[in-house]
Amino acid sequence: MKKALIKDSFKEIKIGYKRFISILLMALLGVGFFAGLRATSPDMLNSINQYYQNQNVYDIQVMSTLGLTQEDIDALKNIENVQNVYGTYSKDVLIKTEDKELVTKVMSIEEVNKPRLVEGKMPENANQCLVEPLFLQVTNKKIGDTIQVEEDTEETSEDEEQSPTLKEKELVITGTAQSPLYISMEKGTSNLGAGKVDYYIYVPKENIQSDIFTEIYITLQNAQNYTTNSTEYKEYVKDTKDKIEEIKEEREQARYNSLITKANDKITEAQDELNTQKQDGENKIAEAENQINEGKAEIASGEQELEEQQSVANSKFRQAEQQIASAKQTLQTSQTQYEEEKKQAEQSFAQAETQKQELQKNLQTVETSLTTINEQYEKIIEELKKEDITEQEKTILEQTKQEIETQKKSLEQNQVQLKNGIAQIEEQTAQGKEKLQQAEAQLAQGKATIEEQEKTLQETKASTNAQIASARQKIEQSKQEIQTAEAELQTQKEEFNTKIQEAEAKLLDAKEKVNEIKNPEWYVLDREQNQGYASYIQDTNSIENLSIVFPIVFFAIAALVSLTSMTRMVEEERQEIGTLKALGYNKFDIALKYVLYSSLASIIGGIIGMNIGFQLLPRIIWMMYSMMYKMPDIIVSFNFTYATIGLGLIYLCIVGATIYAVLKEAKEQPATLLRPKAPKLGKRVLLERITPIWKRLNFTQKVTIRNIFRYKKRFFMTILGICGSTALILTGFGIKDSISAIIPNQYEEIFHYDIQVSLKSALEETQIQDFVTKLEEQEGITQVAELNMISGTTKNAELQEDVQIIIPKDNTQLDKIMSLREIKTKQKIELNEEGIIITDKLAQLIDAKVGDTIILEDANHITKEVKVTHIAENYISHYVYMSKELYEELFEKTYQTNILYIQDNNLSEEQENNIATQLLKQNEVTGVSLISTALSSVNNMMNSLNYVVVILIVSAGLLAFVVLYNLSNVNISERIRELATIKVLGFYDKEVYDYVTRETIILTIIGILFGLVAGYFLNFYIIGTCEIDMLRFVKEIHIQSYLYAVAITILFTLIVNFITYFALKKIDMLGSLKSVE
Amino acid sequence: MAYIEFKQVCKEYKMGEVTIKALNKANLQIEKGELVVIVGPSGAGKTTALNILGGMDTATSGDVIVDNKNISKLKNKELIKYRREDIGFVFQFYNLVQNLTAIENVELATQICKDSLDPEKIMKKVGLADRKNNFPSQLSGGEQQRVAIARAIAKNPKLLLCDEPTGALDYKTGKQILKLLQDTARKENMTVIIITHNAAIAPMADKIIRFKNGTAESVEINKEPKPIEEIEW
Repeated sequence: MKKALIKDSFKEIKIGYKRFISILLMALLGVGFFAGLRATSPDMLNSINQYYQNQNVYDIQVMSTLGLTQEDIDALKNIENVQNVYGTYSKDVLIKTEDKELVTKVMSIEEVNKPRLVEGKMPENANQCLVEPLFLQVTNKKIGDTIQVEEDTEETSEDEEQSPTLKEKELVITGTAQSPLYISMEKGTSNLGAGKVDYYIYVPKENIQSDIFTEIYITLQNAQNYTTNSTEYKEYVKDTKDKIEEIKEEREQARYNSLITKANDKITEAQDELNTQKQDGENKIAEAENQINEGKAEIASGEQELEEQQSVANSKFRQAEQQIASAKQTLQTSQTQYEEEKKQAEQSFAQAETQKQELQKNLQTVETSLTTINEQYEKIIEELKKEDITEQEKTILEQTKQEIETQKKSLEQNQVQLKNGIAQIEEQTAQGKEKLQQAEAQLAQGKATIEEQEKTLQETKASTNAQIASARQKIEQSKQEIQTAEAELQTQKEEFNTKIQEAEAKLLDAKEKVNEIKNPEWYVLDREQNQGYASYIQDTNSIENLSIVFPIVFFAIAALVSLTSMTRMVEEERQEIGTLKALGYNKFDIALKYVLYSSLASIIGGIIGMNIGFQLLPRIIWMMYSMMYKMPDIIVSFNFTYATIGLGLIYLCIVGATIYAVLKEAKEQPATLLRPKAPKLGKRVLLERITPIWKRLNFTQKVTIRNIFRYKKRFFMTILGICGSTALILTGFGIKDSISAIIPNQYEEIFHYDIQVSLKSALEETQIQDFVTKLEEQEGITQVAELNMISGTTKNAELQEDVQIIIPKDNTQLDKIMSLREIKTKQKIELNEEGIIITDKLAQLIDAKVGDTIILEDANHITKEVKVTHIAENYISHYVYMSKELYEELFEKTYQTNILYIQDNNLSEEQENNIATQLLKQNEVTGVSLISTALSSVNNMMNSLNYVVVILIVSAGLLAFVVLYNLSNVNISERIRELATIKVLGFYDKEVYDYVTRETIILTIIGILFGLVAGYFLNFYIIGTCEIDMLRFVKEIHIQSYLYAVAITILFTLIVNFITYFALKKIDMLGSLKSVE
Repeated sequence: MAYIEFKQVCKEYKMGEVTIKALNKANLQIEKGELVVIVGPSGAGKTTALNILGGMDTATSGDVIVDNKNISKLKNKELIKYRREDIGFVFQFYNLVQNLTAIENVELATQICKDSLDPEKIMKKVGLADRKNNFPSQLSGGEQQRVAIARAIAKNPKLLLCDEPTGALDYKTGKQILKLLQDTARKENMTVIIITHNAAIAPMADKIIRFKNGTAESVEINKEPKPIEEIEW
C-alpha cells in the first residue's frame, strides 16, 4: 500500500473520529455481547468440569434394587476403560435438633465424589462428620458441636443382609463441605419425614456397618481428557455403559441366585428349627402334663394316707386317754384310802400325843421329884460329910439316905420307864407318819405319772396333729401348685400353639417372599441422571440458546449501521476516489483505505469488546445462577473460538459492508466520480396517491412523509435499531415481570395459607384432632387445613418428574386454602375420585394431557396407574392432587394427616414468627415454615434479576444510542445542503431541528411499535428457553414494562436528538451551499 | 438616508495564523426598489458583502443598515428572523430541495413567512404553472433557477439577493433568468441585488457597484438602465 494512502487513512480516522468511534462501538457491543454470552455456557461447563475433576466425581453410577456386592465390584473392574470402581454407602436418617426434625442423607467419605471442604477440617474418627454449610445455619450449630442421628433400624430383619447402619450415632461436626453430587437445592426423595431429603452429611467409612454397598461409582480411564457433557464424553461414557449393560443381566442373576439360595437355606433351617422346636415343645408339654398327673395321684394317695394316719392316731389317743382315765380313777380311790388312813393315823397320832403328853407330865413329875430327891440327897451327903454330925444323926441321916436312895432308884426306874414309853410312842408315831408319807409319796407318784402320761399324750397329739396339718397343707400347696401349673401349661400350650402358628405363618410368608424376590434390577446411570448436574447442564443449554438470539440482533444492527456509515463515508469521498482513480490507483488500492479504516475500528472495538464480554457477562450470569447452585466460583476464560468467531463475524459485517460500498462506488468511471453524485431523486410516495389522506396533511407532514420514504436504508436501519433496542428492553423488563410474578401468583393466587406445619408421623387421630381444634381456636388463625403430603414420582412413557402428592383430608377445606383452577379460564377445578389433578408445568414436562393415564410412584416405590382429570395452574414446584378416597383405594393405605396448612388473619411477620416458635415447642410438630420468610428469601433472589434487566437495558440503550447517533450523523451529512438551504430560508434552529427529527421521531415510533411486538415474542422465546424445570414462568408483561421500554427508548432518542440539535446548529450554511453538488 | 447602507464594514477570516480581510472598510448605499449589480473579480469581497447583507454572515466591524435596522448588531435568532422575513436568496446552484416538487419548494419558503405570496401565482409569474408538480430532477437548469427565484420572491422579501444566478446556465437561459429578475424589480418594486463576475450585464442595473480588494471601489448610477433583451455579451 502506498505510503500516502496509509497516511490519508489515519488522517481520516482523526477527522472522522465520530464515525470511527461509532463503528468501533458497534464492534465492541457486537463482539462483547456475542463472545461474552457465548462463552458463558462453556465457562459454566468448564467450571463444573473442573469441579468434578477435582472432586473425582463418577462417570458411571450403578445402583441395584437389592444392593451391590464385592463380586459386582470385581466384575465391573474387569470392564474395559474402567479405571476405578468404588462401592459406597448412603442412608437416610433423621437428625433431631431443638426445634426441627431433619431428613438427612448420610454418605460415606470416599475417594470418589469427594466433598469439597468449605470450612473446618475433614473427619478423622468414626464419630465425626461433615455437614453442609446450610445445615449449620438452619440448626444454629457450630463446628465442634454434636448432632444426634436417629436411625431407623427395624427395617433390617434377621434373615436379611444388613443394609448400612451407623456405628456411632453421636457425631461431632468437624467442618462444612459441599457435595458435588448435590449442587442444586434438590436432594431427592426419602421415605422418612416429609418425604424429602433436607440435608446431607458425610461420615467416615469406618462409621458404617453394612453387608452391601448401596451404590457403586465408576470412574473411567482418561475421562478427564474430555469435557463433561461434551459429545465425546457422552459417547465414551455410553460405550462403557453399554459394556456394563452387557454384564448387567449376569450380575443381576448371580445376585438373585445368591439371595434365593441364602433365603432358601435360611428357610429350611428355620423349618427344621421350627420342627424341632415344635417337637420339643410338644414333648415338653406332654412331660409336664404327665408330671402334673403324677403329682395329682401322689396328692390323692397322700391324702388317703394322711386320713388313715389320722384315724390311727385318733384311736390311739382314745386308748391312751382311757388308760389315763382309769389310772386316774385308781389314783382317786388310793387317794380316798389314803385320806382315810391319814385321818385314822392322825387320830392315833393325837392319842399317842396325849399319851405322850401324859407320860411327859409323869416324867416331869418324876424328874422334879428326882431333882428334889437329889437335892435332899445332896444335902444329906453334905451333912454327912459334916464332922459335927452325931452318929445318930448320922445313922438317921444314913437311913434317910438309904431311903432316899431307894426312892431315887424307883424314881429313876420310873423315869426310864417313862422315857421308854415316850420313845415308844414317838417311834410308833414316826412309823405311822412314815407310812403316811410313803402312801402320800406313792399317791403323788401315781398322780405325777398320770400327769406325765397326760402331758405326753397331749404332746403326741399336738405333734401328730401338727404333722398331719402340715402334711395337709403341703398337699394343699401341691394341689395349688398343680393347679397353677395346669393353668400355666394351658396358657403355655396356647402360646406355644400361636407361636408355632405364627412361626409357620412367618415361614410361609418368608417362603412367599422368597418367591417374591424379584430379579434385582441394576440401574446403570451417568451424570445426567444426577438432578443437580442435569439441571445445571440444562441451564447452560438455556444460556446457550439465549446467547444465540441476542447477539444476532447486535450483529445484524452492527452490520447495517456500518454499512450505512461506510457507504456515506465512501460517498462523501467520491471525488477523492475519482481523483485517485484518475491518478491511476486501482480499486483495490482505493478500497484498502476504507478497509483499513473499518478493520481498525472493528478489530479494536472487537478486541476491547471481547475482553469486557469474557470477563463481565459470565460473571454476571453466574451471579444469578450461583444462588441456585452450590459450586465453586465460575472460571472465566478467554474463549479463543468465540473470540475468533465474534471478531470474524463483526469483521465480516463491517469490513464486508465497507468493501461493498467502496467497490460499488469505485467501479464507476473516474469522470463520473469527479462529478457530484446525482442527488437522490425526489419521488412520490404511495401515500400521495391516496388523495383523501394526502390532502389532509399539512405541508410539513407531507415533507416529512416523503423524506421518510426517501432514504430507505435509513428508514429500515432506524426502525430495526429502535425495534431491536425496544425489544431488548422490553424483554429485560418482561423477564423480570415473569419471574417476579411467580411468587405472588403462587402464594397469593393459588396458595392462600401462611404457615405450613409438619406433624410427627406417629400421631393418633385424636391427637391430631385435638391439636387442630386448639389451633383453630387460637387468635389470629382463620383456617386450618389438614392434608397428607407425600413425595413421589410421576412417569409417562420415558419422562419422569419428582412431585409432591397432596391428599386433602377434606376437599372443602382444601378449597379454602388453595385455588385449584384452570390456567386459561381460571375456572375452579374439583378434586374427585376418578383421577388426579396435576400441575401445569408437570404436565408439560411429562407430556401428559387431561384424560391421559400416567404412572404415580410413592416414596416406597409402589407404582400405580392413574388418570389425569385436570391440569391446574401452578408456578412453583410440581404437585399432584389426589382425593383421600382415591389414595386409600389405590395405595391401600390409610390417610394420615402429616401437614397442616394454616391461614392467618393478615398477621405481621413478627406475629407469625411468634406463632411459629410457639408451634415448634409443641410435641406434635416437627417443622414449621412461614410463607413470609420463604417469600423474603426468594425476593432476595429476585433482586439479582435486576442485573439481567440492567444488562439488557444498558446494552439496548447503547444499541439505540449508537444506531441513532450514527444514523443522525449520516442523515445530516447526507442532507447538509438541504439543511443549509432551509437555514438560509430563515428556518429557526428549532424548525430545522424539527424538520429533521420529525422523521426520526416517526421512525422511532414505528420502531418502538415493532419493538414492542418483537419484544413480546422475544420475551416469551427467552422465557421458554431459560425456564427452570421447577418453575412456571408467568407469561405476562406488565403494562408498566411496555411503558418503561417505550420511555427508555424515547429517552435515548432524545439524547441523540439533543446531540443532533447542536450538530444542526453548527451547520455552515455558506460552506455547504458554496460547494458544487 | 439610504435604504441600505454599509458603513466601514470589515470582515476578517482567521485561517490559522493568517488573517484574511474579505471586506476592508466597505461603504455603499442602495436605495429602495433599485436593481443593483455588483461586479468584481474573484475574492474581491462581493459575495461576503452579499452574505452579510443577507444575514448569513456577520461583519467583524462596521454597521450594516437595512431599512433603518442595524443588522450587524443582531443576535443569531434575530438574524434568522431577518433572513426569514426580509431576504430572498438565489444561488448559483439553485439549492432546491430534491425531495420536494417545484411548488413545494416554494411552499417551503412561504409557510414560514407572514406576508408570503400565493405560491400558485408566483409559479405562474415565473412561467412554471404547468411544471409546478415536477420534482427538481425533472426540470432543466433554467427552470430550476426559476423555481429558486420563485421561492425567494414568494416570501415577499425586502431584498432579493442573487449570487451568480446565471453562473451555471447557458447564455439564453441566463438571459431569461436575468429578465425575470429585472421584471421582478420593476413590477414588484423590489430591491434586487445581483452579484456577477460578468460585467457585461451591468447596464441592466440602476446602480453598478464595483468591488475590488474588499471595498466598493466605485458606485455608478445608471440613469437609463437597458432592458436585458437589448444587452448582448
